[in-house]
Amino acid sequence: MDNIALLLEGFATALRPEYLVFAFLGVLVGTAVGVLPGIGPAMTVALLLPLTYTLEPAAALITFAGIYYGGMYGGSTTSILLNTPGESASIVTAIEGNKMARLGRGSAALATAALGSFVAGSIATVGLTLLAPLLASLAVKLGPADYVALIVIAFVTVGALLGSSVWRGMTSLGLGLFIGLIGTDVLSGQQRYTLGLPSFADGIDVVLVAVGLFAVGEALYVAARMRSGPIDLIPITGGWRTWMTKDDWKRSWRPWLRGTAIGFPIGTIPAGGADVATFLSYAAEKKLSKKKGEFGRGAIEGVAGPESANNAAAAGVLVPLLTLGLPTTATAAIILSAFQSYGIQPGPQLFTNQPGLVWTLIASLYIGNVILLVLNLPLVGIWVKLLQIPRPYLYAGILTFAAFGAFAVNFSIVDIAILLVIGVLGYFMRRYGYPIAPLVVGLILGPMAEAQIRRALQLSQGDLTTFVTHPFAATAYLILGVFVVGGLWLRRRQRLFEDTMTAELAVQDAVTK
Amino acid sequence: MTSAPTPRPGRTASGPRPSRIGEIVFASMCISLGLFAFIGTFGIRVPETNRVGPTVFPMLVAVLLFASGVAVLIAVLMGRLGQQEQSEDVDLHHRTDWLTLAKLVGLVVAHLFLIPIIGWALAAAILFGGAAWTLGAKRWWMALTVGLALCLTLQILFGELLGLSLPLGPALGWIAPLF
Repeated sequence: MDNIALLLEGFATALRPEYLVFAFLGVLVGTAVGVLPGIGPAMTVALLLPLTYTLEPAAALITFAGIYYGGMYGGSTTSILLNTPGESASIVTAIEGNKMARLGRGSAALATAALGSFVAGSIATVGLTLLAPLLASLAVKLGPADYVALIVIAFVTVGALLGSSVWRGMTSLGLGLFIGLIGTDVLSGQQRYTLGLPSFADGIDVVLVAVGLFAVGEALYVAARMRSGPIDLIPITGGWRTWMTKDDWKRSWRPWLRGTAIGFPIGTIPAGGADVATFLSYAAEKKLSKKKGEFGRGAIEGVAGPESANNAAAAGVLVPLLTLGLPTTATAAIILSAFQSYGIQPGPQLFTNQPGLVWTLIASLYIGNVILLVLNLPLVGIWVKLLQIPRPYLYAGILTFAAFGAFAVNFSIVDIAILLVIGVLGYFMRRYGYPIAPLVVGLILGPMAEAQIRRALQLSQGDLTTFVTHPFAATAYLILGVFVVGGLWLRRRQRLFEDTMTAELAVQDAVTK
Repeated sequence: MTSAPTPRPGRTASGPRPSRIGEIVFASMCISLGLFAFIGTFGIRVPETNRVGPTVFPMLVAVLLFASGVAVLIAVLMGRLGQQEQSEDVDLHHRTDWLTLAKLVGLVVAHLFLIPIIGWALAAAILFGGAAWTLGAKRWWMALTVGLALCLTLQILFGELLGLSLPLGPALGWIAPLF
């Protein structure tokens, strides 16, 4: 098969010593930044994006793949070792991982998370390798109306189904779509909402919005109500050498595989990526476990499964991103804009137009996974040190790096002003419970949606039924309907589950106190 | 363990609810933005040749923004407030410290005006040092020193070695010929 030949060629490129250095640096920096408390995967990717600007496309992609996987994994270390609730994708890992750490089994928790991430990441990357070219060849046949259907699905799932409030999600999506409108309309050359300001004529750069929302918004949000007192860090005893016992292995390998099986498919469909996958994996492990009583008190399955699901979903998200150019999470949306800044347009033509780059990227995902495993366990000591960075310095650093990233886009101070305004918006969105992800996805997909809608109407000569009469589009809307009903049901389940979880934990704490 | 309430992982363990007035103001602003977007479409010139002009999609966006803003506002007025986001370093039981927020915003504004005057590294060092101090770093000179070291490293690495055009400013102009 020539895909395998192409993959081997990709490996040949990615394994060149200079590129290996970039992969190594990407994983190292990605994990280090991802470990920092308060920094989720999306913020890691947004903050580190400017660092890749000076590299050539292949090196930038390889570095970026490392940053993505590193940032994904870094969050779990934080949630296992730090006794405070964090971002939602690692909440599930935190439930059991944190308890394990407090029982002095922190290194076992970290080890099963790292190994699970590796297993899941590798299998899911194989899945990506097999599935992506296939999907790309099918996707070439899709017309503009079909794309509109796919984008609508992404909007509804990311906007309405994720987060705690449907309408807050849709408002966030609307804000993102509006910001995406600012600038010059490509088709007609007309300025829209620029208020006559020259800085707005080219639109607002995605990097500014992402860094502003994630970095500045988060820094301001933390600054307003910073946790006082010493950092509640659980010490790691015994080092990483005494990590997993035979029993731990026996209890971990099945959850790793199950987590992968749950995570990868959920990542590939526009259903919100890692968040849902980790929750489903946790629920499955709890149901299948023979030691149900251990759940909530440090069951290793509850770390192994969700962590694997998390990483498998991270790889799954790349399938629609590479083959359709369709980002389904905030992180993927930022990656898409990164690709565009390197002059790469993800989509069905990507595999035929730039096979060299794509296969190098996929090869570097495999390599990044290995580097991640090799780096993570021995460097646990360093990650623990990172968690102890005094918070004033940490958030001052985030703010400074954000300003640096904004300035590096065009070397214009106006961009820093825009960054600040968007950061303030991000602050209020967090404060009033508006999810951030729909805004970023709306911003990136909005212009694409508009272009496809107009193209579809051009083809159909203004006939609106074109959007639903294509068989693919019609099926897509039907599935969306099922999604909405199923998703709302799932969310109710999740909320009930979390409520009982919190109640159970509260009871246990009362007992242990 | 102390008797202080220790937050647990889980989204439901949120602290006090956000203020209702703030929520109403924010939702109203989203509604106004929707209105602005809608009215703004009439200001966009539509070339006659185009079948689907540049105003159709903005109208859809405006309607979405307006409608969902109204839905949020109604929910808030009926007493269903949003869930504040959790973060590792946030204590939702603390009161909002508006003064700190104002200082940070002021520092970023100062930073952007200082870049053309004193160069990137020094302006960024002031931002870092000032922000760390505002956020509670105990020794202000330490914060400033760390900031200077960090920003000079960034300036040299990205500005001089990798070629990003970060202005050096009058005080550091002598660095340029070294690289």
